[in-house]
Amino acid sequence: MRSGIKNCMAALLLSAAALAVPALAQTQDAWPLSPALEKDLAARASDVTEVTLGKNMLAFASKFMNGKDKDNAAVQQLIQGLDGIYVREYDFDKDGQYSMEQIEQLRKAFETPEWQPIVRERERKSGETTDVLMKMVNGESHGIFILDAEPRELTLVLILGPIRMEDLSKLGGIGGLGGALGNVEGIAPKGKKGGGQ
Amino acid sequence: MTSMRWYLLIPACVLLLLVPVVVLAGGDGGFDGVVSAIETRYNAHATRIPLMGLMSVVSGTATHGGMGNLHVAEFDNFTAQVDGNELDRMVEQKLGDGWERVIRETSRKGGEQTLILMRPEGARMGLFVLDLDGSELDVVQVSVDPDHLQDSIGKYSHHDHDSSD
Repeated sequence: MRSGIKNCMAALLLSAAALAVPALAQTQDAWPLSPALEKDLAARASDVTEVTLGKNMLAFASKFMNGKDKDNAAVQQLIQGLDGIYVREYDFDKDGQYSMEQIEQLRKAFETPEWQPIVRERERKSGETTDVLMKMVNGESHGIFILDAEPRELTLVLILGPIRMEDLSKLGGIGGLGGALGNVEGIAPKGKKGGGQ
Repeated sequence: MTSMRWYLLIPACVLLLLVPVVVLAGGDGGFDGVVSAIETRYNAHATRIPLMGLMSVVSGTATHGGMGNLHVAEFDNFTAQVDGNELDRMVEQKLGDGWERVIRETSRKGGEQTLILMRPEGARMGLFVLDLDGSELDVVQVSVDPDHLQDSIGKYSHHDHDSSD
């Protein structure tokens, strides 16, 4: 009898783990910052902004929007379709608080056929680099990754789900995103619609 | 000899009763646990707003259940140096399972810290907000029902439109 209960418990635990692992892996696959690197950057930075909104939280947050208003309804619809919004913004007191190897590591995480670079900017004088990549699935955009590295500022934005470049400005109202997206909004190529939507 | 045993038994019982009280007070979780932990760690005292329970009931009724379980604590003259990572760890540990941090802003120099955590509570959503701005630290927890709250807000926005017409 006891061993039966034990077996049931073990089966339940295994099922729960089996369900939880893919859900976790989905985000962790896309999120390029390892916990160690994230901790290291946060420890060196003078100001840190982190926004972590998974699908469930976004769905819930969208309910707070007034769907009767035309503009709000469009944002609500956009947010409801997204799988996640992740933002990290680090401000540093001095130069050299992160290495170019670390930036390369971040870029390499997106060197897959799905992620296509749409902006690649390197300013030799200021040392600023900007990368904007779009996740394309069957000709439609299913994510945007923005990496903006300045000598004293590092910004990472990852938006998963159906989104276009011009939608970025609509998300500015979400806490913390306004500032982070403001940095990169101007760099989007004007003609790029980001997929067949 | 028997009376001697009784004398020993009484303090022993008192001690046994005290231990769980002390343990529970120290290991208290949730909103009160966070506030207590901040008070202890930073040697600060929170101002508890009187009749908060009544206010929570009133706000719940006024919003037709849109808002409830309201907790507020305010620390004035909060001058302690705060390590953002430590504060974050402490809050998450005290709040317990189910809470997800959605926004964190931390400034080493300016003494500014913001933490927003959310927890699904069935059809409702628990919101926990901690905000340190200069020498004022505010901690708020509230449970909201977005659908009901939206209805209540919608009612007032209609009034606004009506009055502006």
